[in-house]
Amino acid sequence: MQSSTRKMGIMTDVHRRFLQLLMTHGVLEEWEIKRLQKHCYRVHDRNATVEKLEDFINNINSVLESLYIEIKKGFTEDDGRPIYALVNLATTSISKMATDFAENELDLFRKALELIIDSETGFASSTNILNLVDQLKGKKMRKKEAEQVLQKFVQNKWLIEKEGEFTLHTRAILEMEQYIRETYPDAVKICNICHSLLIQGQSCETCGIKMHLPCVAKYFQSNSEPRCPHCNDYWPHDIPEVFNPEKEREAGTSKSNKKSLRSRQH
Amino acid sequence: MLQKPRSRPRSSAQSEKDRDRGRDGDARGPRGHVAEEAPSTSRGPGGSQETPGASSQGARRAQASPSVGPRTQKQLELKVAELVQFLLVKDQKKIPIKRTDILKHVVGDYKDIFPDLLKLASERLQYVFGYKLVELEPKSNTYILVNTLEPVEEDAEVRGDQGTPTTGLLMIVLGLIFMKGNTIKETEVWDFLRRLGVYPTKKHLIFGDPKKLITEDFVKQRYLEYRRIPHTDPVDYEFQWGPRTHLETSKMKVLKFVAKVHNQDPKDWPAQYCEALADEENRARPEPSGPAPSS
Repeated sequence: MQSSTRKMGIMTDVHRRFLQLLMTHGVLEEWEIKRLQKHCYRVHDRNATVEKLEDFINNINSVLESLYIEIKKGFTEDDGRPIYALVNLATTSISKMATDFAENELDLFRKALELIIDSETGFASSTNILNLVDQLKGKKMRKKEAEQVLQKFVQNKWLIEKEGEFTLHTRAILEMEQYIRETYPDAVKICNICHSLLIQGQSCETCGIKMHLPCVAKYFQSNSEPRCPHCNDYWPHDIPEVFNPEKEREAGTSKSNKKSLRSRQH
Repeated sequence: MLQKPRSRPRSSAQSEKDRDRGRDGDARGPRGHVAEEAPSTSRGPGGSQETPGASSQGARRAQASPSVGPRTQKQLELKVAELVQFLLVKDQKKIPIKRTDILKHVVGDYKDIFPDLLKLASERLQYVFGYKLVELEPKSNTYILVNTLEPVEEDAEVRGDQGTPTTGLLMIVLGLIFMKGNTIKETEVWDFLRRLGVYPTKKHLIFGDPKKLITEDFVKQRYLEYRRIPHTDPVDYEFQWGPRTHLETSKMKVLKFVAKVHNQDPKDWPAQYCEALADEENRARPEPSGPAPSS
Protein backbone atom coordinates (compact mmCIF):
# COMPACT_ATOMS: atom_id res chain seq x y z
CA MET A 1 0.00 0.00 0.00
CA GLN A 2 2.07 2.90 -1.20
CA SER A 3 0.98 6.24 -2.53
CA SER A 4 2.49 7.14 -5.87
CA THR A 5 4.07 10.41 -4.78
CA ARG A 6 5.57 9.32 -1.52
CA LYS A 7 7.30 12.07 0.43
CA MET A 8 8.06 9.89 3.37
CA GLY A 9 7.62 6.17 3.60
CA ILE A 10 5.44 4.24 5.97
CA MET A 11 7.00 2.09 8.65
CA THR A 12 5.41 -1.19 9.55
CA ASP A 13 6.60 -3.86 11.91
CA VAL A 14 8.27 -5.54 8.93
CA HIS A 15 10.48 -2.49 8.51
CA ARG A 16 11.03 -2.07 12.23
CA ARG A 17 12.18 -5.60 12.79
CA PHE A 18 14.37 -5.26 9.72
CA LEU A 19 16.00 -2.15 11.15
CA GLN A 20 16.44 -3.65 14.59
CA LEU A 21 18.19 -6.69 13.21
CA LEU A 22 20.15 -4.66 10.69
CA MET A 23 21.56 -2.63 13.57
CA THR A 24 23.08 -5.77 15.05
CA HIS A 25 25.34 -5.98 12.00
CA GLY A 26 28.08 -3.54 11.13
CA VAL A 27 27.73 -4.40 7.48
CA LEU A 28 25.76 -6.95 5.46
CA GLU A 29 26.27 -8.65 2.13
CA GLU A 30 23.46 -8.51 -0.36
CA TRP A 31 22.36 -12.09 0.09
CA GLU A 32 22.31 -11.58 3.87
CA ILE A 33 20.17 -8.50 3.64
CA LYS A 34 17.74 -10.24 1.30
CA ARG A 35 17.47 -13.10 3.75
CA LEU A 36 16.85 -10.62 6.55
CA GLN A 37 14.13 -8.93 4.55
CA LYS A 38 12.41 -12.24 3.83
CA HIS A 39 12.60 -13.17 7.50
CA CYS A 40 10.86 -9.97 8.54
CA TYR A 41 8.07 -10.49 6.05
CA ARG A 42 7.63 -14.04 7.29
CA VAL A 43 7.26 -12.87 10.86
CA HIS A 44 4.85 -10.01 10.28
CA ASP A 45 3.22 -10.24 6.91
CA ARG A 46 3.42 -13.75 5.62
CA ASN A 47 1.09 -13.27 2.68
CA ALA A 48 2.48 -10.05 1.32
CA THR A 49 4.78 -10.00 -1.67
CA VAL A 50 8.29 -9.23 -0.65
CA GLU A 51 9.03 -5.79 -2.03
CA LYS A 52 11.99 -5.36 -4.35
CA LEU A 53 15.01 -4.74 -2.15
CA GLU A 54 15.92 -1.40 -3.64
CA ASP A 55 12.41 -0.02 -3.14
CA PHE A 56 12.20 -1.51 0.31
CA ILE A 57 15.41 0.21 1.33
CA ASN A 58 14.50 3.50 -0.31
CA ASN A 59 11.25 3.46 1.59
CA ILE A 60 13.03 2.99 4.89
CA ASN A 61 15.64 5.58 4.00
CA SER A 62 13.01 8.19 3.36
CA VAL A 63 11.88 7.69 6.95
CA LEU A 64 15.41 7.55 8.34
CA GLU A 65 16.29 10.77 6.66
CA SER A 66 15.00 13.02 9.41
CA LEU A 67 17.19 11.05 11.81
CA TYR A 68 20.26 11.62 9.65
CA ILE A 69 20.99 7.97 9.14
CA GLU A 70 20.72 5.91 6.01
CA ILE A 71 21.09 2.36 4.73
CA LYS A 72 23.92 2.82 2.32
CA LYS A 73 24.96 0.46 -0.45
CA GLY A 74 28.54 0.01 -1.46
CA PHE A 75 30.85 -2.52 -3.08
CA THR A 76 33.85 -4.32 -1.66
CA GLU A 77 36.94 -2.89 -3.22
CA ASP A 78 38.65 -6.16 -3.95
CA ASP A 79 35.92 -8.20 -5.57
CA GLY A 80 32.94 -5.94 -6.09
CA ARG A 81 30.43 -7.63 -3.83
CA PRO A 82 27.50 -5.42 -2.99
CA ILE A 83 27.28 -4.68 0.71
CA TYR A 84 25.04 -2.59 2.92
CA ALA A 85 25.60 -0.65 6.13
CA LEU A 86 23.56 1.60 8.35
CA VAL A 87 25.45 4.86 8.16
CA ASN A 88 25.39 8.00 10.25
CA LEU A 89 25.02 11.11 8.11
CA ALA A 90 25.06 13.79 10.76
CA THR A 91 28.60 13.66 12.02
CA THR A 92 31.82 13.74 10.14
CA SER A 93 34.11 12.28 12.77
CA ILE A 94 34.56 8.62 13.56
CA SER A 95 31.96 8.90 16.25
CA LYS A 96 30.36 5.53 15.71
CA MET A 97 33.53 3.92 16.92
CA ALA A 98 33.77 6.28 19.86
CA THR A 99 31.43 4.28 22.04
CA ASP A 100 33.35 1.05 21.65
CA PHE A 101 36.91 2.30 21.86
CA ALA A 102 39.03 4.35 24.23
CA GLU A 103 40.66 7.61 23.26
CA ASN A 104 44.04 6.08 22.56
CA GLU A 105 42.44 3.29 20.53
CA LEU A 106 40.58 5.79 18.39
CA ASP A 107 43.79 7.66 17.86
CA LEU A 108 45.50 4.45 16.78
CA PHE A 109 42.75 4.00 14.23
CA ARG A 110 43.23 7.53 13.00
CA LYS A 111 46.96 6.95 12.59
CA ALA A 112 46.34 3.71 10.69
CA LEU A 113 43.77 5.51 8.56
CA GLU A 114 46.27 8.21 7.63
CA LEU A 115 48.92 5.68 6.70
CA ILE A 116 46.41 3.78 4.58
CA ILE A 117 45.28 6.89 2.75
CA ASP A 118 48.82 8.03 2.09
CA SER A 119 50.00 4.65 0.86
CA GLU A 120 50.34 3.67 -2.75
CA THR A 121 48.61 0.33 -2.39
CA GLY A 122 45.94 1.28 0.13
CA PHE A 123 47.60 -0.92 2.73
CA ALA A 124 49.61 0.05 5.79
CA SER A 125 52.00 -2.40 7.33
CA SER A 126 51.57 -3.53 10.89
CA THR A 127 55.14 -2.37 11.63
CA ASN A 128 54.53 1.14 10.42
CA ILE A 129 51.33 1.47 12.39
CA LEU A 130 52.88 0.12 15.56
CA ASN A 131 55.81 2.50 15.27
CA LEU A 132 53.40 5.35 15.84
CA VAL A 133 52.26 4.02 19.18
CA ASP A 134 54.28 6.62 21.09
CA GLN A 135 52.44 9.46 19.45
CA LEU A 136 49.00 8.41 20.56
CA LYS A 137 46.72 10.65 22.55
CA GLY A 138 45.40 9.42 25.84
CA LYS A 139 46.70 6.61 27.97
CA LYS A 140 50.09 5.20 26.96
CA MET A 141 49.79 2.07 24.84
CA ARG A 142 52.42 -0.60 24.38
CA LYS A 143 53.03 -2.23 21.00
CA LYS A 144 51.71 -5.56 22.24
CA GLU A 145 48.48 -3.91 23.30
CA ALA A 146 48.29 -2.05 20.01
CA GLU A 147 48.47 -5.34 18.12
CA GLN A 148 45.42 -6.52 20.00
CA VAL A 149 43.60 -3.29 19.35
CA LEU A 150 44.27 -3.70 15.65
CA GLN A 151 42.74 -7.16 15.86
CA LYS A 152 39.73 -5.67 17.58
CA PHE A 153 39.35 -3.31 14.64
CA VAL A 154 39.44 -6.29 12.31
CA GLN A 155 36.87 -8.21 14.33
CA ASN A 156 34.56 -5.21 14.36
CA LYS A 157 34.99 -4.77 10.62
CA TRP A 158 36.71 -1.42 10.61
CA LEU A 159 39.93 -2.81 9.15
CA ILE A 160 40.84 -5.77 7.00
CA GLU A 161 44.12 -7.57 7.45
CA LYS A 162 46.01 -9.27 4.65
CA GLU A 163 49.42 -10.74 5.25
CA GLY A 164 50.38 -8.39 8.04
CA GLU A 165 49.06 -5.30 6.31
CA PHE A 166 45.90 -3.37 7.02
CA THR A 167 43.40 -1.59 4.84
CA LEU A 168 39.95 -0.15 5.44
CA HIS A 169 36.99 -2.49 5.62
CA THR A 170 34.23 -1.52 3.22
CA ARG A 171 32.17 -0.67 6.26
CA ALA A 172 34.67 1.98 7.28
CA ILE A 173 34.71 3.34 3.74
CA LEU A 174 30.93 3.59 3.68
CA GLU A 175 30.75 5.20 7.10
CA MET A 176 33.66 7.53 6.80
CA GLU A 177 33.91 8.48 3.15
CA GLN A 178 32.59 11.94 3.80
CA TYR A 179 34.83 12.44 6.78
CA ILE A 180 37.88 11.19 4.92
CA ARG A 181 37.27 13.38 1.89
CA GLU A 182 36.85 16.43 4.06
CA THR A 183 39.75 15.71 6.38
CA TYR A 184 42.34 14.60 3.85
CA PRO A 185 41.35 16.43 0.66
CA ASP A 186 44.85 16.36 -0.76
CA ALA A 187 45.82 12.80 0.03
CA VAL A 188 42.52 11.23 -0.88
CA LYS A 189 42.25 9.14 -4.04
CA ILE A 190 39.12 9.02 -6.15
CA CYS A 191 38.06 6.40 -8.68
CA ASN A 192 37.97 7.74 -12.20
CA ILE A 193 34.86 5.74 -13.05
CA CYS A 194 32.51 5.97 -10.07
CA HIS A 195 34.03 9.08 -8.44
CA SER A 196 33.88 7.54 -4.99
CA LEU A 197 36.65 7.28 -2.48
CA LEU A 198 39.35 4.83 -3.53
CA ILE A 199 41.58 2.98 -1.13
CA GLN A 200 42.59 -0.08 -3.18
CA GLY A 201 42.62 -0.09 -6.95
CA GLN A 202 44.61 -0.05 -10.15
CA SER A 203 46.42 2.99 -11.56
CA CYS A 204 47.34 4.03 -15.03
CA GLU A 205 51.11 4.10 -15.15
CA THR A 206 51.14 6.94 -17.62
CA CYS A 207 48.70 9.49 -16.31
CA GLY A 208 48.13 8.22 -12.79
CA ILE A 209 44.35 7.99 -12.71
CA LYS A 210 42.99 5.27 -10.50
CA MET A 211 40.09 2.85 -10.70
CA HIS A 212 38.50 0.40 -8.29
CA LEU A 213 39.00 -3.23 -9.23
CA PRO A 214 35.26 -3.83 -9.68
CA CYS A 215 35.05 -0.60 -11.69
CA VAL A 216 37.88 -1.85 -13.89
CA ALA A 217 36.04 -5.14 -14.28
CA LYS A 218 32.84 -3.46 -15.42
CA TYR A 219 34.49 -0.84 -17.60
CA PHE A 220 36.70 -3.22 -19.51
CA GLN A 221 34.24 -6.07 -19.58
CA SER A 222 34.75 -8.07 -22.79
CA ASN A 223 37.21 -5.53 -24.09
CA SER A 224 40.20 -7.27 -25.59
CA GLU A 225 42.30 -4.10 -25.74
CA PRO A 226 41.72 -2.20 -22.54
CA ARG A 227 42.90 1.40 -22.68
CA CYS A 228 43.05 4.09 -20.04
CA PRO A 229 39.86 6.17 -20.18
CA HIS A 230 41.86 9.30 -19.53
CA CYS A 231 45.06 9.14 -21.62
CA ASN A 232 44.18 6.19 -23.86
CA ASP A 233 47.39 4.38 -23.11
CA TYR A 234 47.32 0.61 -22.93
CA TRP A 235 46.00 -0.58 -19.56
CA PRO A 236 48.79 -2.76 -18.17
CA HIS A 237 47.04 -4.66 -15.39
CA ASP A 238 45.05 -7.88 -15.17
CA ILE A 239 41.38 -7.20 -15.70
CA PRO A 240 39.39 -8.83 -12.90
CA GLU A 241 36.05 -10.53 -13.46
CA VAL A 242 32.78 -8.83 -12.77
CA PHE A 243 31.25 -10.11 -9.55
CA ASN A 244 28.59 -12.68 -10.30
CA PRO A 245 26.46 -13.65 -7.33
CA GLU A 246 25.19 -16.80 -9.03
CA LYS A 247 28.65 -18.12 -9.77
CA GLU A 248 29.65 -17.23 -6.26
CA ARG A 249 26.96 -19.33 -4.68
CA GLU A 250 27.67 -22.33 -6.90
CA ALA A 251 31.35 -22.32 -6.25
CA GLY A 252 30.70 -21.97 -2.55
CA THR A 253 33.93 -20.10 -2.14
CA SER A 254 34.25 -18.04 0.99
CA LYS A 255 35.63 -14.53 0.76
CA SER A 256 38.84 -15.46 2.48
CA ASN A 257 39.63 -18.05 -0.15
CA LYS A 258 39.42 -15.61 -2.99
CA LYS A 259 42.75 -14.92 -4.56
CA SER A 260 43.76 -11.37 -3.99
CA LEU A 261 44.24 -9.46 -7.21
CA ARG A 262 46.66 -7.10 -5.60
CA SER A 263 50.18 -7.92 -6.71
CA ARG A 264 51.98 -9.57 -3.87
CA GLN A 265 55.13 -8.21 -2.38
CA HIS A 266 56.73 -11.59 -1.73
CA MET B 1 19.46 26.59 -6.39
CA LEU B 2 17.89 23.22 -5.82
CA GLN B 3 20.22 21.39 -8.16
CA LYS B 4 20.40 17.66 -7.75
CA PRO B 5 23.88 16.61 -6.73
CA ARG B 6 25.16 13.47 -8.45
CA SER B 7 23.42 10.22 -7.48
CA ARG B 8 23.27 10.99 -3.77
CA PRO B 9 20.06 9.60 -2.36
CA ARG B 10 19.87 12.52 -0.01
CA SER B 11 19.36 15.00 -2.82
CA SER B 12 15.65 14.69 -3.48
CA ALA B 13 14.79 14.66 0.17
CA GLN B 14 17.02 17.64 0.84
CA SER B 15 14.94 19.70 -1.52
CA GLU B 16 11.87 18.45 0.27
CA LYS B 17 13.31 19.56 3.55
CA ASP B 18 13.93 23.00 2.10
CA ARG B 19 10.35 23.17 0.99
CA ASP B 20 9.05 22.03 4.33
CA ARG B 21 11.23 24.26 6.35
CA GLY B 22 10.06 27.44 4.76
CA ARG B 23 11.24 30.05 7.14
CA ASP B 24 14.73 28.71 7.59
CA GLY B 25 16.98 31.10 5.77
CA ASP B 26 19.86 28.69 5.52
CA ALA B 27 21.37 29.61 2.19
CA ARG B 28 23.64 26.63 2.09
CA GLY B 29 20.77 24.69 0.64
CA PRO B 30 20.95 21.12 -0.53
CA ARG B 31 24.52 21.21 -1.63
CA GLY B 32 25.89 21.90 1.81
CA HIS B 33 26.59 18.61 3.48
CA VAL B 34 24.41 18.06 6.45
CA ALA B 35 27.64 17.16 8.11
CA GLU B 36 28.85 20.73 8.11
CA GLU B 37 26.22 21.60 10.62
CA ALA B 38 26.87 18.45 12.56
CA PRO B 39 25.28 18.52 15.96
CA SER B 40 28.36 17.47 17.85
CA THR B 41 28.60 20.82 19.58
CA SER B 42 27.08 19.67 22.79
CA ARG B 43 29.47 16.77 23.11
CA GLY B 44 31.78 19.45 24.44
CA PRO B 45 34.67 18.71 26.75
CA GLY B 46 33.79 15.14 27.54
CA GLY B 47 33.63 13.84 24.01
CA SER B 48 36.47 12.00 22.41
CA GLN B 49 34.83 12.27 19.03
CA GLU B 50 36.61 15.45 18.02
CA THR B 51 39.17 14.55 15.40
CA PRO B 52 42.05 16.71 14.23
CA GLY B 53 40.34 17.36 10.94
CA ALA B 54 36.95 18.04 12.37
CA SER B 55 38.16 20.73 14.75
CA SER B 56 38.44 23.23 11.95
CA GLN B 57 34.75 22.83 11.42
CA GLY B 58 34.14 23.28 15.11
CA ALA B 59 33.64 26.99 14.72
CA ARG B 60 31.02 26.55 12.07
CA ARG B 61 29.29 23.88 14.08
CA ALA B 62 29.14 26.03 17.19
CA GLN B 63 26.93 28.43 15.33
CA ALA B 64 24.39 25.72 14.80
CA SER B 65 23.30 25.67 18.42
CA PRO B 66 22.94 29.08 20.04
CA SER B 67 22.30 28.99 23.72
CA VAL B 68 19.45 31.47 23.53
CA GLY B 69 16.89 32.45 21.00
CA PRO B 70 14.76 30.44 18.65
CA ARG B 71 16.32 27.43 17.00
CA THR B 72 15.51 26.55 13.45
CA GLN B 73 13.49 23.52 12.55
CA LYS B 74 16.62 21.95 11.16
CA GLN B 75 18.59 22.46 14.35
CA LEU B 76 15.83 20.86 16.34
CA GLU B 77 15.69 17.98 13.92
CA LEU B 78 19.43 17.46 14.20
CA LYS B 79 19.24 17.56 17.96
CA VAL B 80 16.47 14.97 18.08
CA ALA B 81 18.45 12.80 15.64
CA GLU B 82 21.48 13.01 17.90
CA LEU B 83 19.39 12.10 20.90
CA VAL B 84 17.85 9.10 19.17
CA GLN B 85 21.25 7.81 18.13
CA PHE B 86 22.65 8.35 21.59
CA LEU B 87 19.83 6.39 23.19
CA LEU B 88 20.15 3.56 20.68
CA VAL B 89 23.86 3.23 21.17
CA LYS B 90 23.69 3.43 24.93
CA ASP B 91 20.92 0.88 25.14
CA GLN B 92 22.97 -1.60 23.15
CA LYS B 93 25.12 -2.09 26.21
CA LYS B 94 21.97 -2.65 28.24
CA ILE B 95 23.11 -0.20 30.89
CA PRO B 96 20.29 2.13 31.86
CA ILE B 97 20.76 5.62 30.52
CA LYS B 98 21.01 8.39 33.07
CA ARG B 99 19.28 11.66 32.46
CA THR B 100 22.43 13.50 33.53
CA ASP B 101 24.38 11.72 30.80
CA ILE B 102 21.80 12.67 28.22
CA LEU B 103 21.95 16.29 29.30
CA LYS B 104 25.71 16.33 29.36
CA HIS B 105 26.54 14.52 26.15
CA VAL B 106 23.68 15.40 23.85
CA VAL B 107 21.27 18.06 25.00
CA GLY B 108 23.73 20.69 26.24
CA ASP B 109 22.46 24.13 25.31
CA TYR B 110 19.04 22.83 24.50
CA LYS B 111 18.38 22.04 28.14
CA ASP B 112 15.40 24.33 28.28
CA ILE B 113 13.48 22.20 25.85
CA PHE B 114 14.72 18.87 27.13
CA PRO B 115 11.26 17.45 27.85
CA ASP B 116 10.14 18.22 24.31
CA LEU B 117 13.30 16.78 22.80
CA LEU B 118 12.89 13.62 24.82
CA LYS B 119 9.28 13.31 23.78
CA LEU B 120 10.15 13.75 20.12
CA ALA B 121 13.01 11.28 20.38
CA SER B 122 10.73 8.83 22.11
CA GLU B 123 8.15 9.12 19.33
CA ARG B 124 10.76 8.54 16.64
CA LEU B 125 12.19 5.55 18.49
CA GLN B 126 8.75 4.02 18.66
CA TYR B 127 7.67 4.80 15.11
CA VAL B 128 10.90 4.01 13.32
CA PHE B 129 12.48 1.27 15.39
CA GLY B 130 9.71 -0.12 17.53
CA TYR B 131 11.46 0.74 20.80
CA LYS B 132 9.66 2.32 23.70
CA LEU B 133 11.64 4.73 25.88
CA VAL B 134 10.74 3.94 29.46
CA GLU B 135 11.85 5.25 32.79
CA LEU B 136 13.33 2.37 34.74
CA GLU B 137 11.52 3.24 37.91
CA PRO B 138 9.37 6.26 38.61
CA LYS B 139 11.53 9.29 39.43
CA SER B 140 14.75 7.34 38.88
CA ASN B 141 15.74 9.60 35.98
CA THR B 142 17.22 6.63 34.20
CA TYR B 143 15.82 5.16 31.03
CA ILE B 144 15.88 1.99 29.02
CA LEU B 145 14.50 0.99 25.66
CA VAL B 146 11.92 -1.74 25.67
CA ASN B 147 11.28 -3.65 22.48
CA THR B 148 7.67 -3.52 21.41
CA LEU B 149 8.31 -6.24 18.85
CA GLU B 150 8.23 -9.77 20.19
CA PRO B 151 11.50 -11.59 19.74
CA VAL B 152 11.15 -14.62 17.54
CA GLU B 153 13.33 -17.73 17.56
CA GLU B 154 14.38 -17.28 13.96
CA ASP B 155 15.74 -13.82 14.76
CA ALA B 156 18.80 -15.56 16.09
CA GLU B 157 19.69 -16.81 12.61
CA VAL B 158 19.74 -13.37 11.05
CA ARG B 159 21.27 -11.39 13.88
CA GLY B 160 24.71 -9.88 13.51
CA ASP B 161 25.81 -10.03 17.09
CA GLN B 162 25.97 -13.28 18.97
CA GLY B 163 22.64 -12.15 20.27
CA THR B 164 23.14 -13.00 23.83
CA PRO B 165 23.75 -16.63 24.60
CA THR B 166 23.68 -15.41 28.14
CA THR B 167 19.96 -14.80 27.74
CA GLY B 168 19.42 -18.52 28.30
CA LEU B 169 21.13 -18.37 31.64
CA LEU B 170 19.23 -15.24 32.57
CA MET B 171 15.91 -16.86 31.74
CA ILE B 172 16.76 -19.83 33.92
CA VAL B 173 17.61 -17.62 36.86
CA LEU B 174 14.50 -15.47 36.36
CA GLY B 175 12.43 -18.65 36.25
CA LEU B 176 14.04 -19.94 39.42
CA ILE B 177 13.38 -16.71 41.26
CA PHE B 178 9.74 -16.59 40.27
CA MET B 179 9.00 -20.22 40.98
CA LYS B 180 10.58 -19.92 44.41
CA GLY B 181 8.31 -17.08 45.41
CA ASN B 182 10.07 -14.05 43.88
CA THR B 183 13.17 -14.27 45.98
CA ILE B 184 15.88 -16.89 46.18
CA LYS B 185 19.17 -17.30 48.03
CA GLU B 186 22.37 -17.32 46.04
CA THR B 187 23.31 -20.71 47.46
CA GLU B 188 20.07 -22.16 46.10
CA VAL B 189 20.82 -20.70 42.66
CA TRP B 190 24.17 -22.44 42.48
CA ASP B 191 22.73 -25.69 43.82
CA PHE B 192 20.39 -25.67 40.87
CA LEU B 193 22.86 -24.49 38.25
CA ARG B 194 25.41 -27.07 39.29
CA ARG B 195 23.02 -29.70 38.01
CA LEU B 196 23.25 -28.01 34.60
CA GLY B 197 27.01 -27.96 34.67
CA VAL B 198 27.27 -24.30 35.56
CA TYR B 199 29.55 -23.46 38.48
CA PRO B 200 30.42 -20.18 40.13
CA THR B 201 34.11 -20.89 40.14
CA LYS B 202 34.55 -22.64 36.82
CA LYS B 203 34.81 -21.03 33.41
CA HIS B 204 31.87 -22.01 31.22
CA LEU B 205 32.17 -22.64 27.50
CA ILE B 206 29.19 -20.50 26.59
CA PHE B 207 28.66 -18.25 29.58
CA GLY B 208 32.28 -17.50 30.38
CA ASP B 209 32.25 -16.41 33.99
CA PRO B 210 28.80 -17.38 35.31
CA LYS B 211 29.39 -15.84 38.72
CA LYS B 212 30.27 -12.46 37.23
CA LEU B 213 27.37 -12.71 34.80
CA ILE B 214 24.79 -13.38 37.45
CA THR B 215 26.05 -11.29 40.34
CA GLU B 216 27.45 -8.35 38.38
CA ASP B 217 26.48 -8.04 34.72
CA PHE B 218 22.80 -8.90 35.04
CA VAL B 219 22.60 -6.67 38.09
CA LYS B 220 24.21 -3.74 36.31
CA GLN B 221 21.80 -4.23 33.46
CA ARG B 222 19.01 -4.17 36.05
CA TYR B 223 17.67 -7.57 35.22
CA LEU B 224 18.39 -8.77 38.74
CA GLU B 225 18.56 -7.34 42.21
CA TYR B 226 21.32 -8.79 44.36
CA ARG B 227 21.21 -8.04 48.07
CA ARG B 228 23.12 -9.26 51.02
CA ILE B 229 21.05 -11.10 53.59
CA PRO B 230 21.86 -9.56 56.98
CA HIS B 231 23.08 -11.69 59.85
CA THR B 232 24.03 -14.65 57.72
CA ASP B 233 27.19 -16.56 58.43
CA PRO B 234 28.71 -17.46 56.03
CA VAL B 235 27.47 -14.42 54.13
CA ASP B 236 24.63 -15.18 51.77
CA TYR B 237 22.84 -13.05 49.21
CA GLU B 238 19.43 -13.09 47.69
CA PHE B 239 18.21 -12.47 44.17
CA GLN B 240 15.04 -10.84 42.98
CA TRP B 241 13.83 -9.59 39.67
CA GLY B 242 15.23 -6.20 38.73
CA PRO B 243 13.19 -3.34 37.28
CA ARG B 244 14.24 -4.09 33.72
CA THR B 245 12.86 -7.59 33.95
CA HIS B 246 9.49 -6.28 34.99
CA LEU B 247 9.51 -3.95 32.01
CA GLU B 248 10.80 -6.35 29.40
CA THR B 249 8.96 -9.50 30.32
CA SER B 250 6.25 -10.71 32.63
CA LYS B 251 5.50 -13.39 35.19
CA MET B 252 3.24 -15.12 32.71
CA LYS B 253 5.92 -15.20 30.03
CA VAL B 254 8.48 -16.57 32.45
CA LEU B 255 6.02 -19.16 33.74
CA LYS B 256 5.34 -20.25 30.18
CA PHE B 257 9.05 -20.62 29.63
CA VAL B 258 9.45 -22.75 32.75
CA ALA B 259 6.46 -24.86 31.72
CA LYS B 260 7.91 -25.38 28.28
CA VAL B 261 11.22 -26.51 29.70
CA HIS B 262 9.42 -29.11 31.79
CA ASN B 263 7.14 -30.01 28.92
CA GLN B 264 4.14 -29.15 31.06
CA ASP B 265 1.36 -26.63 31.23
CA PRO B 266 1.62 -23.37 33.20
CA LYS B 267 -1.53 -24.32 35.06
CA ASP B 268 0.34 -27.24 36.60
CA TRP B 269 1.70 -24.68 39.06
CA PRO B 270 -1.53 -23.19 40.37
CA ALA B 271 0.01 -20.73 42.83
CA GLN B 272 2.38 -19.27 40.30
CA TYR B 273 -0.31 -19.31 37.64
CA CYS B 274 -2.64 -17.24 39.82
CA GLU B 275 0.13 -14.81 40.57
CA ALA B 276 0.97 -14.51 36.88
CA LEU B 277 -2.69 -13.86 36.05
CA ALA B 278 -2.90 -11.11 38.64
CA ASP B 279 0.25 -9.58 37.18
CA GLU B 280 -1.31 -9.64 33.71
CA GLU B 281 -4.34 -7.80 35.02
CA ASN B 282 -2.15 -5.15 36.60
CA ARG B 283 -0.34 -4.63 33.35
CA ALA B 284 -3.55 -4.25 31.43
CA ARG B 285 -4.51 -1.25 33.51
CA PRO B 286 -3.53 2.09 31.93
CA GLU B 287 0.00 3.13 32.74
CA PRO B 288 1.00 6.54 34.11
CA SER B 289 2.34 8.98 31.50
CA GLY B 290 5.45 8.05 29.54
CA PRO B 291 9.07 9.03 29.76
CA ALA B 292 8.75 12.81 29.88
CA PRO B 293 10.36 13.85 33.13
CA SER B 294 8.09 15.50 35.64
CA SER B 295 10.68 17.74 37.33
